[in-house]
Amino acid sequence: MGSDVFEITVNLVKMLFIFLLMVQLVPVLVWVERRGSAFIQSRFGPNRVGPLGLTQLLADAVKFLMKEEFVPAQGKKLLFYLAPAIALVPGAVAFGSIPLSCPVHIQRFLMLQHWWGPYDFEFQSFHFGVGIVFVLGISSLGAYALLLAGWGSANKFSLMGALRASAQMISYELALGLSLVGAILIYGTFDFTEMIAQQAQVFNFELLGHAFHLRKYGILMQPIGAILYFSSIFAETNRLPFDLPEAEGELVVGYHTEYGGLKMLMFYIGEYGHMMVGSALFVTFYLGGYTIPLLTTTQINNLFLSMGAGPNVISILTALVFHVAFFAKVLFLLWVFVWVRWTLPRFRYDQLMDLGWKTMLPWSLANVIVTAVVVAYVRSK
Amino acid sequence: MPDISQTAAVTLNHYLALSAIVFTIGMLCVLLRRNLIVMLMGIELMLNAVNLTFVAFAHYSSDISGQIMVFFVMTVAAAEAGVGLALAVSIFKRFKEVNIKFLEHLKG
Amino acid sequence: MDISTIIFIILATIIVVSSVSVLMTPNPIYAAFSLAITMVTMGFLYFSLDADFIAGVQLIVYAGAVMVLFVMVLMLFDLEKETEAYSKGTFSVFLKLMCGLFLTGAVALSVRQSIKGLSDVAKVATPAEQVETIKLLAGRLFTQYVFAFEALGVLLLVIAIGVVAVARSRGGTHARH
Repeated sequence: MGSDVFEITVNLVKMLFIFLLMVQLVPVLVWVERRGSAFIQSRFGPNRVGPLGLTQLLADAVKFLMKEEFVPAQGKKLLFYLAPAIALVPGAVAFGSIPLSCPVHIQRFLMLQHWWGPYDFEFQSFHFGVGIVFVLGISSLGAYALLLAGWGSANKFSLMGALRASAQMISYELALGLSLVGAILIYGTFDFTEMIAQQAQVFNFELLGHAFHLRKYGILMQPIGAILYFSSIFAETNRLPFDLPEAEGELVVGYHTEYGGLKMLMFYIGEYGHMMVGSALFVTFYLGGYTIPLLTTTQINNLFLSMGAGPNVISILTALVFHVAFFAKVLFLLWVFVWVRWTLPRFRYDQLMDLGWKTMLPWSLANVIVTAVVVAYVRSK
Repeated sequence: MPDISQTAAVTLNHYLALSAIVFTIGMLCVLLRRNLIVMLMGIELMLNAVNLTFVAFAHYSSDISGQIMVFFVMTVAAAEAGVGLALAVSIFKRFKEVNIKFLEHLKG
Repeated sequence: MDISTIIFIILATIIVVSSVSVLMTPNPIYAAFSLAITMVTMGFLYFSLDADFIAGVQLIVYAGAVMVLFVMVLMLFDLEKETEAYSKGTFSVFLKLMCGLFLTGAVALSVRQSIKGLSDVAKVATPAEQVETIKLLAGRLFTQYVFAFEALGVLLLVIAIGVVAVARSRGGTHARH
């Protein structure tokens, strides 16, 4: 946590900030989803409340809070209330262990007649050496929220939705994990920070008389892995084209049929949190994390130095710039989620399972084997 | 002032005691419960207790081999759970219950 | 009391309480959820023992896959109420409880006896060391224990085929049709 009061305080504030960041992004995403779907279907979407309908979500939040508290008569009350709370946890914890920007170095400074520092603050809630294993482990706990909700509501549709959803999550976890293994083999580490550092390296080559300088982004070295990973997070987050658990034509809305008001909102936050974790992992693994193409840390540092900023301010500002870059990438991917939702039709359940087990699993296994052979060959040279 | 943190530190004994308790609970679960799946859960509890001793020994003797054993135990436990659940499913299909009183039907 | 002791006490309490509730709850679904809590807490205990990789695997394999399977199977069965959750007969239950207590005592005694040879110095590992631990683990796994590793692969394959065969069968010799 830290060695003195200042460090502990900053770390706690940082944890809170990252959690709130995740929660506060949800209204924006819901707005993007609704306006985006309206844009794709050439209609208006919510545009009455506030500029561009931006405060619609505020009104919705009030509506959700004012709704009646409701438990089905046959429902298991404890499980029914526990499920939405559990839905929030995996996303929030997993998001906290992904580095959102470069570390901030604070040199010694004087405050309240006392010398503090020097400090190194990482832009993440907690740093585990086995980053990706931890994130996969925590996000696999998301299945419990669905199962608890399905069982606790004492409703056939909820139960079927929950069983479908958890079967789907377990099936696609395999393809998801294996598609990341290729990238892990190349980077040779589980640690996110090291992965990003490796992707920041440049490799130069010449093609058709032009010299190219490209960052070693994962997507260039693992295109198949990237595609497989991105498809399986659609299944993991239960979104179209894989939103079988909530197939409204067959199951009403699946596992949260009986939920309303704030509890429903918490499921939404959980789902969007899962999407954010998926996108942040994609960015970290395949799009170079918080790095910016064609721009190095020293260039940004020099820019702020020429403006006459001190070393601490430079460090903070650089971290902010990288943070914005990271979030630009994440937000683009989240827009792709919306885009795909309104472009592709839904799969049938047997097609979904066939795709997961018979197509994506073999392809990701082949990807792992080919990558392993190539990595072994390159390292032996 | 005496250093409390030295005297109250968690030692290997604590982990082993916890593991012994969990193992016993798992064993009682297998002995006392009559639902086939809950008995399987008892076995999982016992395996977990053993894993805890492995990890604790690996930590306190600074030897990584304990963790490798845990890795193997987990794989075997997952396989065992798979087989056990498949058997439970086929028993349920036949007898419409997973209580071990289905054994009464096996008298030939 | 330092922070690690407090963490240990909290985690150990959760583990003991939830595993007792696996034993005591008549409803198998609640028992399965209690076991899931035990598994997750055990994972966090591994984190506190600097076995990060094993902890992650525990979360993925046990909590994320095995226990979800248990819960799913129980939900498919939809056992309305458990008629005979516990074994019958006061004497046999008494005997079994005595067996359990005897085992605890024996384990505690043997731990007490055998512990003296081991040093109880806690090793503190930094994240950098942790990465080395993973490399060390992989090195051992793929050199010294490679045969066991490959054998496990074969075992899993056999199990996968066997499970499908068993679960698809229509009751074997007891088939009705």
